[in-house]
Amino acid sequence: MEVNTSRENNTITVHFSGRMDTPGAQEITPQMNALAEEADKTIILDCTDLSYISSSGLRIFLTLRKAALDKGGKIIVRNICDSIRSVFMMTGFLNLFEVHSAK
Amino acid sequence: MKAGLLVVVVAAISLEATSIIQYIYSQRAIQQEASLRAESELESAENRIMDVVDQAEAAVRNSVWVAQWCLESPDSIQRIPQRVVSENPVVVGSTMALVPGYSEKYPLYAPYAARDMKTGEIRMLSLATEEYDYPSMEWFTKPLELQDSYWSEPYFDENGGDILMTTFSMPIKDKDGTIAAILTADISLDWLSELVDDMMVYPKAFNMIVSRSGQIMVCPVETLVMHKTIDQFAMESDNYEGLNFVNEAMLSGQSGEIPVRYKGQTNHVYFSPVERTGWSLSIVIPESVLYSGVRRVSVIVKLLQLLGLIMLMVILRVLAKNQFKYYTLNEQKKRMENELHIASEIQMAMIPKTFPPFPERKDIDMAAAIIPAKEVGGDLYDFFIRDEKLFFCIGDVSGKGIPASLVMAVTRSLFRAMSAHEDNPAKIVTLMNETMSDDNKSNMFVTFFCGVLDLAKGQLHYCNAGHNPPMILTDAIRMLPIEPNVPLGILKGMEFVEQETSFNYDDALFLYTDGLSEAENITQEQFGESRIEAALHGRKRSDVHLKNIEQKVAQFVGEAPQSDDLTMLFIHYLGHGSKNTQRLTLHNDIKQIALLPEFVDAVTGQVKIEPLDIANLNLALEEAVANVISYAYPEGTDGLVTIDACVEGSKVTFVITDSGKAFDPTAKEELDITAGVEERPIGGLGIHLVRTIMDTVSYERKEEQNILTITKTY
Repeated sequence: MEVNTSRENNTITVHFSGRMDTPGAQEITPQMNALAEEADKTIILDCTDLSYISSSGLRIFLTLRKAALDKGGKIIVRNICDSIRSVFMMTGFLNLFEVHSAK
Repeated sequence: MKAGLLVVVVAAISLEATSIIQYIYSQRAIQQEASLRAESELESAENRIMDVVDQAEAAVRNSVWVAQWCLESPDSIQRIPQRVVSENPVVVGSTMALVPGYSEKYPLYAPYAARDMKTGEIRMLSLATEEYDYPSMEWFTKPLELQDSYWSEPYFDENGGDILMTTFSMPIKDKDGTIAAILTADISLDWLSELVDDMMVYPKAFNMIVSRSGQIMVCPVETLVMHKTIDQFAMESDNYEGLNFVNEAMLSGQSGEIPVRYKGQTNHVYFSPVERTGWSLSIVIPESVLYSGVRRVSVIVKLLQLLGLIMLMVILRVLAKNQFKYYTLNEQKKRMENELHIASEIQMAMIPKTFPPFPERKDIDMAAAIIPAKEVGGDLYDFFIRDEKLFFCIGDVSGKGIPASLVMAVTRSLFRAMSAHEDNPAKIVTLMNETMSDDNKSNMFVTFFCGVLDLAKGQLHYCNAGHNPPMILTDAIRMLPIEPNVPLGILKGMEFVEQETSFNYDDALFLYTDGLSEAENITQEQFGESRIEAALHGRKRSDVHLKNIEQKVAQFVGEAPQSDDLTMLFIHYLGHGSKNTQRLTLHNDIKQIALLPEFVDAVTGQVKIEPLDIANLNLALEEAVANVISYAYPEGTDGLVTIDACVEGSKVTFVITDSGKAFDPTAKEELDITAGVEERPIGGLGIHLVRTIMDTVSYERKEEQNILTITKTY
């Protein structure tokens, strides 16, 4: 599980690659908690290279989403694969997130 | 060693003290004896001298009346001395000298009778010569002066033939009472030295006679005789004061004993006066002579003491050496114990001890343990994989200590050697028995169990040689049926029987030595098979099983000492099983989740399922397992989660089992996925996904285990 963060003006782009399974999510949790502090900005969660997500990953997304709601920021999920889309559907996350496809 | 020296020193001091006391007392006794002897010798010598003196005096006195009578006719006077000499053998010469002027006819008249010492003839001479001038002689003047008899000082007589003599003189009075003549008797003093020679009481002792004026009359040094006075002698000596003190005592007519130093050694001088003559008779005994006897005795005593001390020293040395021996014996014992310890370490190094032994293999999970008793023992186990076959053995050598451990090492080597090319355990055991019973003089034997497990097929071939039956763990726990046979090393030519059984996936074999089943507590109750069986319930990782049993037996035994080695071998087979059933055993470590995709791929490999469905199936399984790993076991404890997957047609079933605390994930409320961001709870997503993906999710609690079964039909 790899995470790369880049900043541009008021936008933070977080690029995930690999599998966000339970251990993977655990690994990046501290980083994501720090990111939640900046949830007043626009955070783009780039999932182009993310192949898998488990409930632990979903919890990270949801935590960020709640933080954005509190702080008046914005969370955009970008480019999710079919399997993740199916997970988003099953969990109602498609309703909670602004999901952008393509660039 | 220091104490030994002290003993010798104390002994030497006390011996020396006693010998000094003894020496002093002996010295005193010897001194007393010497003075007694000296006194008696002096007395007898004096008596003999007095005897001669008396005879001489008597010779003169007896002639007095004749002499008086002869005064009337002076011509007859010469007959008097003649008679004195001839009638008295001790008298060598005699004269009757007239006082000058007494007779008108002979103004000087002194006829002298002398005995010729050689012929015994008596010659008549006259002393009234011009050269001699008798009236001036001492023997004449003194009695005249004293008007009494007188013994002269000794002198050499030139007339009488150069002999040492002394003269007894007696005044002769006439009728008127006037001294008319002096009658004398000479006696030779030559016999005196002969006399004193008889007085030799001790060798090297000597005698001296001195005259009243201190003239040395008798003495061993002849040049001194009549030439020196004792006063002169004392003046020329190295101790004038000492000798002078003796001289004065002697010359004043005393008797007694005085020690005096002369020429570096002490001499004891015993002296006594001779009456009338004024002489002093003495015996001089050098102290060295006096004490030579006691000195010799003391030298002998000293030598004996020295010998005794040397013997004492030797005895002490021997004792000390023995003590040293005892000490070294102790040292040796310690070293031996140390070596035993090393031996036991070497022994332990021979057997495989790294667990898991085959980390790269998924089809076998093994653990083994030897808990040695106090000393090195004879338990062993061994295993290795050759040609996809697991060769394993367990054994127990009769007896304990070094011999047992040596036999154990031999047994292990034989097992390795015989199983290097042989797959049949019965043959391996038979070959081992041939070697071990060959010339087995020590009569040691080994109970042994040998197994060969075909890891691919799950077929177990085994052969038992008198060892206790292992436990086999399948659906139930039971003893593996065994032929007892006989232990190794007893019966040469024995044919051991081979047996076989087949293992399925998750079956296990537990081998142990009687150190486990016969472990005793303080009340001498044995651990027994039933407790072993109870401890084996539930499938855990092999090393967890062993730890568990170890704990249980330790609890049971308590304070009682461990009397025998305790050896256990646990073989958990995870290879061959039914084709559509697979198992994955995980530790309660979240990282193990990473093993799931591969497992799911393997399970679903036989079913035609869309990749998306596989991903979802994996997700459902992960959520279910992650739940168990996170919640079933308390943090920091080791626990296992087993996943049994079964594919029946298009139905996939996962059974997730753990031995943790009761936890029912299905009890969770359904998640409202339509809720907004604010209302959305963070938790509950996992079980929601499981429920959504799978067809059925069911939980049951059975035999202390949580069993979650999830199914999906495609």
